[in-house]
Amino acid sequence: MNESARPAQRPAAARRSRLRLYALVSVVLALLIGSWWLHQRRTAATLLRTEPNEILRRPELIRAAVSIGRPQYQRHCAGCHGSALQGDSKRGVPDLAKNVWLYGNDPVDVERTILYGIRSGHPKARNLTDMPALVRMGQITPDDAHDAVEYLQNLAGQPHDEAAALRGRAIYYNKGNCYDCHANDARGVTDYGTPALTGPVYVYGGDRDTMYQSILNGRHGICPPWVNQLSAVQIRALAIYLVTAPRAAAVARN
Amino acid sequence: MAETQEFFDLRKTSVRRSMALLAAGALIGLLIAGYGLFTAKGTRSRGVPPEAIALVNQRQILRSDFMTQAQTQYTVPFAQTSTEQRQKVLQDMINEELMMQRGLEIDLPSYDPDVRNALVAGVELEVTADVLAQQPTTEELRAYYEAHKDKYSSEGVMQLRDLVVKPETAHPAVARATAIAAIAALRKGQPLATVIQKFGLVDSGRFMDAGHVDTGDIFQFAVRAKTDDATYNATLPLKDGEISEPLEQSDGVHLIVMIKHRFPVAQNFEEATNRVWTDLKNEAQLKVNAANITYLKSRADIIVAPELAQ
Repeated sequence: MNESARPAQRPAAARRSRLRLYALVSVVLALLIGSWWLHQRRTAATLLRTEPNEILRRPELIRAAVSIGRPQYQRHCAGCHGSALQGDSKRGVPDLAKNVWLYGNDPVDVERTILYGIRSGHPKARNLTDMPALVRMGQITPDDAHDAVEYLQNLAGQPHDEAAALRGRAIYYNKGNCYDCHANDARGVTDYGTPALTGPVYVYGGDRDTMYQSILNGRHGICPPWVNQLSAVQIRALAIYLVTAPRAAAVARN
Repeated sequence: MAETQEFFDLRKTSVRRSMALLAAGALIGLLIAGYGLFTAKGTRSRGVPPEAIALVNQRQILRSDFMTQAQTQYTVPFAQTSTEQRQKVLQDMINEELMMQRGLEIDLPSYDPDVRNALVAGVELEVTADVLAQQPTTEELRAYYEAHKDKYSSEGVMQLRDLVVKPETAHPAVARATAIAAIAALRKGQPLATVIQKFGLVDSGRFMDAGHVDTGDIFQFAVRAKTDDATYNATLPLKDGEISEPLEQSDGVHLIVMIKHRFPVAQNFEEATNRVWTDLKNEAQLKVNAANITYLKSRADIIVAPELAQ
């Protein structure tokens, strides 16, 4: 009797073991997914609730932010800013790798720029000023513009025509009214998003022709708003990534 | 034991197994529904979501807006603002939110034109947000530039006189001959004032400035706006000091004296890229806005008074 029952019981026992194994694996998987999901939510909440400058003091939060922010950067920002944050001077995209921050590199400022953009049309966008086409508008003459360029070459410590630079200085502070936006020391004003004109890094390039073109035609750089495209935590993480990436690169270089 | 075997033996029907799976399914469904119910946007929450600094009648005040507001109000980095300053900013923002909600409660947009305009602008912005976020490629920008090349130049400036031999002072054929003679005299270098007096030319009155004939700089777009196509086209090729051919029009025979002409300077693609970008975006926004209006109309119940019903 026992002998004849054995073959039928074996497959049933094996099936039961398999089912139990599947059930166990499913439960473990569900627990893993659940804890990963909870961890992600907790990380997101911590990143959002912690002050941005406090995040910069906590390596574990920086790591979490970078792991969220870097893929977002590559997906949404690298098209303009370059895969290594190097920007594109031909299009006036700032070199973030060299810390060129028109509106300041405090993470709160960076986050605001990402959220609402620059001259993006969003009501909260950064949109205080534009580089006017001073020559085309007739505010200064082409000769004035060339003189102003010589003055800027002087400020940057580059070879320049001394007499023209002196005339250019007068243009900078009087007729051209350049100091009003670019500051008395020509180091730019982050409140307006006006770039430093003293080099060595420029938004559009520091050569004479590019500078002249800026004064001749004006500039109108833009950055789109991401408030409706990315989640709050993605934007916070992106801001932290952008602020820390150049520092990390500098540390790696040294 | 036999029941347990039956429970796990998928080839056999098991009431216990069916009930257990049914209960498990119901429990999972309830959990998902509960999660959705208590976390969905707009649902009542006791806690403040991480991206918000406060909830006012369940509406979020975003941390990012709060930080920006504090920085702007006290002109220092957010990290340097004090707790008192932050409290003040938060209370101001809460007050503003309450006022805004009150405005909606009393249906302010239905009768205040400023609020209506702001709402319209806001909705337009909302629907065009995607367009604003999309980056046109260089190829798209170049294609747009090539298709609209005429737009990308500096504005031309003219100093001109539009003179006319009036038909009431002479037979049309005589008026034309007079105009031709006047043109010849001007081309020979006779002074404008002399020619005007000698041939009885009068100003057309098209270019006036505060009641006087405008002899100063006039933008090309203004010339276009103030004249007909034939006159405008006649001005375009004229260089400094050149005179047009006679133009026969209903009020007489015209001749254009171009005193000074600064021609528009065409911008190449690199120079015009930012304007091209803006124009391309604006055009895309207009299309999206038009599509939005079409969609809203398609689902709206609009009844127009009989006299204007189409």
